Formats: sequence, C-alpha cells, structure tokens
Amino acid sequence: MRSRGDMITGYLFVMPVVVSLAVFLIGPIFYAFYISFHEFSFLAPDQAKWIGLDNYVKLFQDPRFLKALKNTSFYSLGVVPVQICIALMLALIVDSKIKGKTFFRVVYFLPTVTSTVAVSVMFMYLFKSDGIVNLFLSHLGLPTHDWFGSIKFALPATMMMAIWTTVGQFMVIYLAGLQDIPTDLYEAAEVDGASPWQKFRFVTWPMLRPTTFFVLIMSIIGTFQVFDQVYVISKGEGGPQDATLTVVFYLYRTAFKDFDMGYASAMAFVLFLIILVLTFIQKKFFKEETA
Amino acid sequence: MKKRIKVLSGILAASLVMAGLAGCSGGQGSTQAGNGKITLRVGGWSSSPEEQAILDAQIAAFEKENPKIDVKFEPVVGDYLQKLQPMIASRTEPDIFYLDASVAPEFMDKGVIEPIDDYLKKNNVNLSDYEESAIKAFQWKGKTYGLPKDYNTLALFYNKEMLDQAGVKPPTNWSELKDAAKKLTKDGVVGFSMSAELPRYQPFLMQAGGSVYDGEKATFAKPENATAIDFIYGDMMKKENIAAYPKTLGKDWSGDAFADGKAAMVVEGAWLIPHLAKKSPNLKYGIAELPVKEGGKPANMVFTVAYALSKNSKHKEEAMKLMAFLTGKEGQKFVVEKGLAMPTIKELGKDFTSKYPERTPFVKAVSYATPFQYGTIGVKLVDAGNKAAEAVLLGSKPDAKSALEEAQGKMTK
Repeated sequence: MRSRGDMITGYLFVMPVVVSLAVFLIGPIFYAFYISFHEFSFLAPDQAKWIGLDNYVKLFQDPRFLKALKNTSFYSLGVVPVQICIALMLALIVDSKIKGKTFFRVVYFLPTVTSTVAVSVMFMYLFKSDGIVNLFLSHLGLPTHDWFGSIKFALPATMMMAIWTTVGQFMVIYLAGLQDIPTDLYEAAEVDGASPWQKFRFVTWPMLRPTTFFVLIMSIIGTFQVFDQVYVISKGEGGPQDATLTVVFYLYRTAFKDFDMGYASAMAFVLFLIILVLTFIQKKFFKEETA
Repeated sequence: MKKRIKVLSGILAASLVMAGLAGCSGGQGSTQAGNGKITLRVGGWSSSPEEQAILDAQIAAFEKENPKIDVKFEPVVGDYLQKLQPMIASRTEPDIFYLDASVAPEFMDKGVIEPIDDYLKKNNVNLSDYEESAIKAFQWKGKTYGLPKDYNTLALFYNKEMLDQAGVKPPTNWSELKDAAKKLTKDGVVGFSMSAELPRYQPFLMQAGGSVYDGEKATFAKPENATAIDFIYGDMMKKENIAAYPKTLGKDWSGDAFADGKAAMVVEGAWLIPHLAKKSPNLKYGIAELPVKEGGKPANMVFTVAYALSKNSKHKEEAMKLMAFLTGKEGQKFVVEKGLAMPTIKELGKDFTSKYPERTPFVKAVSYATPFQYGTIGVKLVDAGNKAAEAVLLGSKPDAKSALEEAQGKMTK
C-alpha cells in the first residue's frame, strides 16, 4: 500500500526538476509567447508596447525572413534524407561481422562529440579558396570555388559539413535498432531462402520503422534549428548575400543585434509551429504501430 | 548500488547549490564594504593582454588617488551586447561600461543610460578638450551620454619593399592608387586589398561627394555613391584583378593578407600594428593617409568606444569621477603610452604623434572623419551597405547603382 508519506517523498524527489523546468524553460516559453505580441526590447522592457499580431504579419512580408525560411527548408531537405541514408548504411556496415568494427564505430561517431565550432573552423580551412579541397580539385582538373564566400556554394558546403558531423549520432541510434531485431527472424528468412537484399527489405527495414521515425524527427528538428555552423562560417553575418541566413540565425540577429526581442520571439513561434506541423505529418505518415 | 545513489545525490545537491550561488551572484550591484569603502563595477569586453594592461594601469592609478573606492573590471567573454541586454533589463549592469559608437544611439534613444551633463562641471570635464567627431558620437538630442576612451581611424598600409621594387610611391589619389596597384600585382601578390564592408568603402564614397546617412534615414540611392563602389569593387577588383577582397586570397581580413605578403596595400586602422608586430615582425611597412579622389575632399571614419553611466548605479557620483579619470588627461596617458589606439583628448594627440611619428595619419584623419554610426538604424544600414559592395564583387548585381538601389530598398521597408 502506498502511504501518504511515500507520495510526499516522491513529489519531493521530482521537485528539483519540475521547479527548474518551470522556472528556466516553461516560464520563459510562455513569456516569449507573451512578448511576441509586443514591440519589446531588452534595453527598455518597461517601454514594451502591445501591438497584437503585427509582428506575425510583418514576418510574412519580411523578405529576409522568407529568405531565411527558404534557406532553412533547402538545408533540411538536403541534409535529412542524405543523412539518414548514410547513417543507415554505416550502421549496417559496423553491425556486420567485419574486422575492427569497434574502431569504425569510434571513427564514425567521433565528429558527433566534437564541438560544432571546432568542426566549422576545420571546414573553413579545408574549403578556403587556397585550401585543401580546392588543391585536390585543381589537381583533378576540376573547377575550384571560394566555397564559403560564394552565393551558390556556401549553403551546400555547410550542408556537407552538417551531414558529416551528425551522421555518427544517427548511426548509433540505428545500430541500437538493428541489435534489437531478433535473430530468429533472420533465421526464418534464411530457411525461406531469402536473399540478403530480401532480408533487408522485408525484415530489417520494417523492423527499423520506429527507429527511422525517431531519427527522421530528430533530424528535421535539428536541421530546422541550425545555427552554430552558420554563425561560425559566416562570421555572424549570414552571408554572402544572405546565402546562409537561417531562421534561428536571423532570429538571433534580430534579438541581440537589432534589439527587437518581440519580433524575434514571433519568429521563434512560427518556427515552433512549422516543426510541430511537420512532426504531426510524419506521425500520421508512419502511423506509429509500436508505441 | 547504494553508494552510487549517495554519490549521485551528492553531485545533484552540489550542483543545485552552485546553481543557486550563480543565480545570486549576478544580482548584486555595487556594494558597500564594511570599512566605508565602495566598489565600482566596470563592464567591458575582454580584449588583448596589451589592451587589458592599459585598463589595469588606469585603474591602479585611480585607486591610488581614491583609496575609498575599489574598482572591479568585469569583462564579458563572448557576445557583449547579448550579455549586456539582460543585465540592463534586470538592472544589474555595471556602474560604468563600454559602449561602442555604432550601437550608442539605440541606448541613448531608449534612455537606457544616464545623461552625464550634470556631472561634467564637478569633475572638471571640458567637452571641448575631446576630439569633436568622437564626442559627437555620444551626444543625442542635446544631451551627452558618455566620454570616449580612445578612437581609431583608417589609413593606407603599404609594403615598403614591394613598393620600392615596383618603383612606386604611396598613392595620394585614386588614379595613383590604381596605377600603383597595377604595378604591384604580380607573382601571386595583389596590389590592393580591402574587404567588402561599408566602414572601409565609406571614406572613398564620401570623397566622391556621396553619403549613406543624412541623420535620419539611409541615402544609399544618391547617384554620387556609385562612383567609389564601382571604382574599387567593380573596376579594380572584378575587372582588372589588381585588387582583391581578403576571402579571395584565402584570408579572413585584409590585415592578414597584408601580414602574409599577399597584398601590397590595405586600408585598416591602427589595430593592424600590434597584429603585424606579432605575425610578421620583419615586415617593413609604411602608413599613409587614404588616397583622395581627384577634386574631392578627404574623408575618413572614426571608430570610438565610450564609457556610459548606468541608470541604476547606486554610486553615480563616484562612477562619474572614475569615468572622468579614465577618459581624462591622466587616464589617457596610458593610452598614448601603449599606442594601440589614439587618445580622444586633443592635447594628447600631439604627445601621441611625437611618440609615434609614423602613426600621424591616424591622428590627422580624425579632424575630417565621420563616426561609424547611423542613428538607430545602424545595424540594418551597415548590413545593407556591406551587401551592396559584396553584390558588385560577387556579380549578383551588374553595377554599384543597382546594388545601392537594392540596399536603399531594404532600408525603406
């Protein structure tokens, strides 16, 4: 039987988390929602002015926000599928019985635990106009570019970097999913004379469905919130010519450089809504059989 | 297992205590110590050790003169404005703090900082002692909001050896600049390098009679504005390839391109001097005033930082005394000594030029320079200005005229 005392102890135990979440996460979220209807600057919070939906209306007429949204969508559309394919492939490889698989697991996972800033700086060196990538390309007789300084290539180069850094994390998740698949399924398939491709197509892939769902959602959320790579690579400008301006990056600039916290908060909620809708669509699509 | 839980809860408890402490320590303002001593907090960004040494020496000198006042410098690591804003919102900003001229209008306009006019007389501060363009940057609607601590302007740095070899003299006008750049461009070296940024091309734009801000709004679309952008980014960089912007040379800024001998001439401020001393100590270079357009007037930019007085300071009198000291003759002597930036007190400018005669162009320039400041629309204006030059350079706009029209379009929205 549960006594009252037990209940109180229980609540006391969850208290620190509940309180800190309420104060430092949930509270600020509601406050941000509140100020998104204001002309609000941190410099003069007492001069805040209620302007209703003006911030939201302004957003959809702001060419820079639309550009940021376009860039972010392009980024997400490019990164997510490639990332998932590579992650799955890598997981399959390091799950097989090859020699030195622990070594490969470590190598593929390493970029994930490296700080994004360090990785960005490293990529900037690689992709410099006189960097290694261009040197390599010119030896092959291919055209070279000033990657991060070019309107056409800055964003794709950033995407390549994002894929390289995060693929390891999703590989590990896939790996866990793969090891969860009971071996008797494969044995049964073998008895039925299934080819390796059929085993993958009819056993592995369906069994990985919940994992894929999770990876897809995480990947989409992550890509829609891209910030730090862009910040480092464009030196806090989002350039060249707004080619790497993403939603979160524009939000940051608006809040802390333009002193317009209200407008920035509105942006945050539009982004939140987009991610929410996307997640619901995926949930429907995957019809989550397994809870 | 049990032991593990104990350890874990210990860690949790410790981190909670630390979080609590961190939460509290941010909240204290200037404090009164038991012995009648007060502590003043000075806010700023962390900078080079050389620059830190200036401030340390200034503070030591002030504390010696005022034994009842303790001064504590609180450097912000990371994004200064990002940290300063919540401090101001929660009324916990330092008593006096750095304020860059480019963002000052926003602070003055919103009334976030205290006007200092009433305190000036008591502290024997005479505004006319200061370089006019520097002090003007901190005046808004008839009130003064800060005293500039030092300033910087732009000059032309040239590689002496390269110029001697090519047999050219430091250029004084645009055609000489182009001529020199043409002769200097060879063997993987470009004659001239400058970033695609408003605070670099604006002096040239103004020499040609242009302007980007009229005191109220952006004026990018002025027909005179196109001349300089077309000349530098279109003609010299894109068409003739006798100049390049640092990224094409694989450098972050033109200072690095100059230090590594990839560019023979660059336009930078005095901040390049310590960088060169560290990176290429053997480089022989000269400093000259910016080349002026034929028939145009000389123009330059002044970059300056002031101390601002907090509205929430509990010791405004003492804080003002400190500000007056740091930016006054005594305090700025240390600025002259190190030579990293120029003193804003006119009189000390002479000491500076006699101590560092080769740096005279920076001091000369301040008399005709415009502050790097564009009212409360600065952030947007600079961004639009930078992108206009970049657009010409990257070819996303055919000429300066269309790029500037686009920039103007961004400002009117």
